[in-house]
Amino acid sequence: MADHHNTTEPTVHRHEEIQRKLALKEERKHHNVSFVMMILLTIVAFFAIWSDKISDSFAVIFILTLAVVQVFFQLYIWMHLSHKGHDFPIWGMASGVLIAAITVASLMGMIWTS
Amino acid sequence: MNAGERLTDANFPAHPEKATLEGKNKFLGFWLFLGGETVLFATLFGTYLGLRNMHLDGPSGEELFSLPLVFLATMLLLTSSLTSVYAVLSLKQNKVRSLQGWFIVTLLLGLGFLGLEIYEFIHYVHEGHTFTSSAFGSAFYSLVGFHGAHVLFGTLWITTLLVRNWNRGITLANAPKYYLFALYWHFVDVVWVFIFTVVYLMGKVG
Repeated sequence: MADHHNTTEPTVHRHEEIQRKLALKEERKHHNVSFVMMILLTIVAFFAIWSDKISDSFAVIFILTLAVVQVFFQLYIWMHLSHKGHDFPIWGMASGVLIAAITVASLMGMIWTS
Repeated sequence: MNAGERLTDANFPAHPEKATLEGKNKFLGFWLFLGGETVLFATLFGTYLGLRNMHLDGPSGEELFSLPLVFLATMLLLTSSLTSVYAVLSLKQNKVRSLQGWFIVTLLLGLGFLGLEIYEFIHYVHEGHTFTSSAFGSAFYSLVGFHGAHVLFGTLWITTLLVRNWNRGITLANAPKYYLFALYWHFVDVVWVFIFTVVYLMGKVG
């Protein structure tokens, strides 16, 4: 009985450890991919303005979209919002973003109309 | 088990940052704080967007901003965000020396960013763009300066955190603290993404 106990437990433990290592390896890969993506998004945004080849009004919408995409990478991959157990954080951030959007719009509107 | 006890590879939990009630509370509370910070920065962004063309007889953003400098600052902050996520990966593997190393790299990149920002502000003041020169000046320094103050606070935070816990290994008490610092640092980078887009790049197209 004691023998049995001694031989199985370390194997189970080792198995769990290997799984955890693989999961971390996967996570590191995601982080690296998202870093490369963010660098590319940044370069594209700077180039869109720098090169002066696209019209100003389109460029503004374009770079704002790139910023939103980049923030999504930050929040979901680097800040782990995609992981389990992040329901309340997502609600907290979503309500913050909602109020933030209303705030920006109303402040701009108030200054513009005055 | 005492929360201040150094964790070993044998008793290391899958999520050391949320293994205690205190850690769970800090995690949730910090995310709600970041939601509030989002609103706080929104007030500064909204004001800046409303006032960005009111530069009186001072220089306009289009004349002032130098994109290569901003690009370099962006790369420094973006890379520091990656190194802090590497530190969190080390945290999950109980590798305390590697965690300290990555956080020190993060700190140095943050200081590099601050140096560039100070250089930039001094240059602007010489060009006649100050906090009191126009509504554009006030809104610009409030927004960008407030973000810079967040970076400064972050560098002080990680310095004290590293010094205080240098020989303690990873414990259930300090794992949430390291984890939350990394969240904060990513958030500072998130705000910068909007600053370089809204202030600098949009400033160049008028």
